[in-house]
Amino acid sequence: MKRKLVKWAIIFSIVAFVFNLTALLMVFGYAPAESQMGEAQKIFYYHVPCAFSSYLMLFVSFVFSLIFLIKKTEKYDIWAWAGAEVGLVFVICVLVSGTVWGKSAWGKWWVWEPRLTTFLIIFLIYFSYLLIRIFGKIDSKTPTIAAVLSIIGFLDVPLVNRAISWWGSVVHPKKVSLEFEMKLTLAVSLISVIILSLSLLLWRVIADERVKEKNG
Amino acid sequence: MTFLKVCFLIFVKDLKDEIRKKENILASLFFGLLSVVLFHFAVDSTEIDLSKDGSGLLWLIIIFAGTIFMQNLFKKEEENGTFYALILAPVDRAAVYLGKFAVSFLFLLILEFFLFALSFFFFNFPVLKSFFWLLLILCSINAGFSALGTLISSLTVNQKGSFILYPLLLYPLLFPLFIAAVSLTQRFIKAQLSFSEPWLRLVILFDIIFLTVSSLLFELITEE
Repeated sequence: MKRKLVKWAIIFSIVAFVFNLTALLMVFGYAPAESQMGEAQKIFYYHVPCAFSSYLMLFVSFVFSLIFLIKKTEKYDIWAWAGAEVGLVFVICVLVSGTVWGKSAWGKWWVWEPRLTTFLIIFLIYFSYLLIRIFGKIDSKTPTIAAVLSIIGFLDVPLVNRAISWWGSVVHPKKVSLEFEMKLTLAVSLISVIILSLSLLLWRVIADERVKEKNG
Repeated sequence: MTFLKVCFLIFVKDLKDEIRKKENILASLFFGLLSVVLFHFAVDSTEIDLSKDGSGLLWLIIIFAGTIFMQNLFKKEEENGTFYALILAPVDRAAVYLGKFAVSFLFLLILEFFLFALSFFFFNFPVLKSFFWLLLILCSINAGFSALGTLISSLTVNQKGSFILYPLLLYPLLFPLFIAAVSLTQRFIKAQLSFSEPWLRLVILFDIIFLTVSSLLFELITEE
């Protein structure tokens, strides 16, 4: 099983490398600069895919947490933990790229914009998940607590988004019209970041299984 | 034993115990009083009118004071070592959860009435505008708050450092409920509430999702 996972992780990593290289070349060499924001708009090609990948990874964590609670088998907990951790990395990427975008688009490092604020709260939920994992490393009940947090946290996300949208003003453009070159570049970066997130997920699972094996 | 009877018996057992000991509810109420007085000094009352803009602060106090009560929901079972006896009892575990949920719901309601009355007394907070709407807001917010609070409380039973764990687990999940509570109270103050209020629908959706999910998860986490 582990050998198979390593094989897939290597394949995904190579494909992610090739796709990311292509995506970067397209972002800086093929996609046209946006008329108002100029080069800063190119953050968009990684900001949006990171947001998508973070949702995907948190969904992976949600599904495996649910399976873990039903079956009580450790291997599902490893996948749930890996999903949440990789998801959190991408949430941080969204927040960082969002603040850089905010500085160039609106002149401020932080704007209480609904979607960005939603990601800030997702960050808080999953950071608490991480803290619980760190605090309760040797406690047998920690996986159960973490699984519940992952399930409730994931179900909370749409409600957080709705609440924040109604609360604050909408600064994000509702509908973005993109040129063909921009759409193609976005599609390639989206695929590249998704593959990268999957390879990170696999490596994270392998690392955890190796630690467990070592500790017996 | 029927489902509702188990719920009722758990509810009565905890209620009697709390009335006898009074430590949880008194600690929560005193914390509430302390915070309301502190908030007077925390804001410039010549600039900010707490009777109009104090709903956010009031809900912060409710969440913190409510936490004091709810994190001790399973404390006596923990101290007496009877938590597993409660879980192993040949009854539906969801009924145990709902009994505990009902206790926290009731005590939150008492706490909120106390705090709203204090706010009326100290800051002239317009609580007497419409009792029906106030009760509706409090009950709808309490359902979601108690649903998650009770579940997290059951999770941290027999856990080392549960006092640190509890707020860490609960507060991030309460964001939508907190935002909705503040918005609904602001609308209540301005007498702008109606049944078509989207915030009310959001809160009810939150209540339904998390009450159902929490009672199902309670059964799963106590299976071990």
